[in-house]
Amino acid sequence: MSIKEIPNRIRIRSTQDIRHYLKSYPFKGLTDFFMEYESRNRLLPKTEVYKRMQSTLIVMKESIAKGKAKVNRTPSGLINGGCHTFLNNMPNTIHLMGEWFNTVIANTLAVSELNACMGRIVATPTAGACGVMPGAFLTICDKFSIPEDKQIQSLFIAGGMGELIQINASLSGSQHGCQAEVGSASAITASAIVALFEVSLDKIENAAALAMSNLLGLVCDPVAGLVEFPCVHRNIVGSVNAIACAQMALAGLTSPIPFDEVVSAMKQIGDDLPASLKETSRGGLAITPTGLRIQRKVRDEDPEKAY
Amino acid sequence: MAIFDIIGPVMIGPSSSHTAGANRIGYMAALCYGSPFHSVEIKLYNSFASTGFGHGTDRAIVAGLLGFKMDDERIPHAFEIAKKRHLSYNFRKSYKRDHHPNEVRIVFNRGSNHSFLIRGVSIGAGKAKITQVQDDDVEFGGDHAILLLNYQDITGMIGFIGGVLGKYKVNVAYMKSSRNALIGTAMAMLKLDEECPQDAIEELKRHSDIHRVISIRKLNNEY
Repeated sequence: MSIKEIPNRIRIRSTQDIRHYLKSYPFKGLTDFFMEYESRNRLLPKTEVYKRMQSTLIVMKESIAKGKAKVNRTPSGLINGGCHTFLNNMPNTIHLMGEWFNTVIANTLAVSELNACMGRIVATPTAGACGVMPGAFLTICDKFSIPEDKQIQSLFIAGGMGELIQINASLSGSQHGCQAEVGSASAITASAIVALFEVSLDKIENAAALAMSNLLGLVCDPVAGLVEFPCVHRNIVGSVNAIACAQMALAGLTSPIPFDEVVSAMKQIGDDLPASLKETSRGGLAITPTGLRIQRKVRDEDPEKAY
Repeated sequence: MAIFDIIGPVMIGPSSSHTAGANRIGYMAALCYGSPFHSVEIKLYNSFASTGFGHGTDRAIVAGLLGFKMDDERIPHAFEIAKKRHLSYNFRKSYKRDHHPNEVRIVFNRGSNHSFLIRGVSIGAGKAKITQVQDDDVEFGGDHAILLLNYQDITGMIGFIGGVLGKYKVNVAYMKSSRNALIGTAMAMLKLDEECPQDAIEELKRHSDIHRVISIRKLNNEY
């Protein structure tokens, strides 16, 4: 096939489109493709696009440190120093898995709690699911001392996979439930982890497809409508799932259903989910007796409730 | 939407729609108003009204009005900072089905007979749109530079505006115009690739039939 000049506007709807672009145009690989995509979409030079991802990565790293540095509490009491307690109790607690497993949990908790307490985070892909990427991906980068450049390259690939979810379904809990938030976060994090070790679109796609498949049907039922419980703890499911699926994909396991079709399934399930389970707090954990009690307490504390 | 909407935006939590989007409405509203102000009335609708407190929606809006962007760590302290800067604000709540689930109405007050109304909605992922400026229905986010004109509904106005923009080599990406037949005024909303130069704005303002010119820079690469 002849190599043509890269078109001004790059449009993708499927992994098939990405394969087509990579085959037909002189891209230097998957990261280069997504950088070019972003550069052309935003009318920004590629060097700027790279710099922006670099500064985003710095904020993501800071969010782990900041989340761990203090005891995170919210007025509702739903966030009550969980990460702090977890780290403090760890020396006297049995370690069910290795130490890194606990670090994944602590880092995810740290960022998700920081978000709940109005701290600065990177919404990847949403604020509610912001603990997954730092908790899983950055912990692995740390474990394997991955150079910064490689981390940035992998984040572009994760962003590209997320873009496909955004285009074909959505990333919003109010539209498609938690599967669209933590499910998507887990899928793109799995792809980022694979990309650290093997830039193979097949393996990246398999990791993302497996991770998303595992979380299909996850509902959004936040207690008192707050991004606190079960959101924070579900982020850990997303992190652990991302690592497991990346490990499976790296070992050559494949998803019987391709990524694009899993994303369509997520959309269809999300459309079928009743509104009570899509961020309205009218179902699930939000309407348990305890959930409703917490909701009343939160509303009573609102200084403007009189209006 | 693109990759930095997936890996990003960098923002103050906890919610992209109820915190970051709300902040952006406040930020854009202050840019629209364009002059210093010391008193605002803020009305939160529907989901913003019911869960806004727990999401810091109120503080995020005030922070936006103070010129703090969605990644500014001063957002949680917006009320204290507003007090220091002598900005008074009050909140009201409204539950109405014919309004967007995440809507805000901001009224800037100056003296007893001057008020300026701006309405905005948060549409998810930290994005927001301004939907009303005074009596004019508009629709813009931060993807383009914006020029909003309010003028007398007489012939030749669009030609005049186009002529001025052409002279300053400003390219128009999108344009919408409409009129209020009852009071005989018209409005035009133009989306531009680059912010309208100050000289062009001054020239437009000098026209006796143009009542109001609002120019806002493009925001989407700032975050």
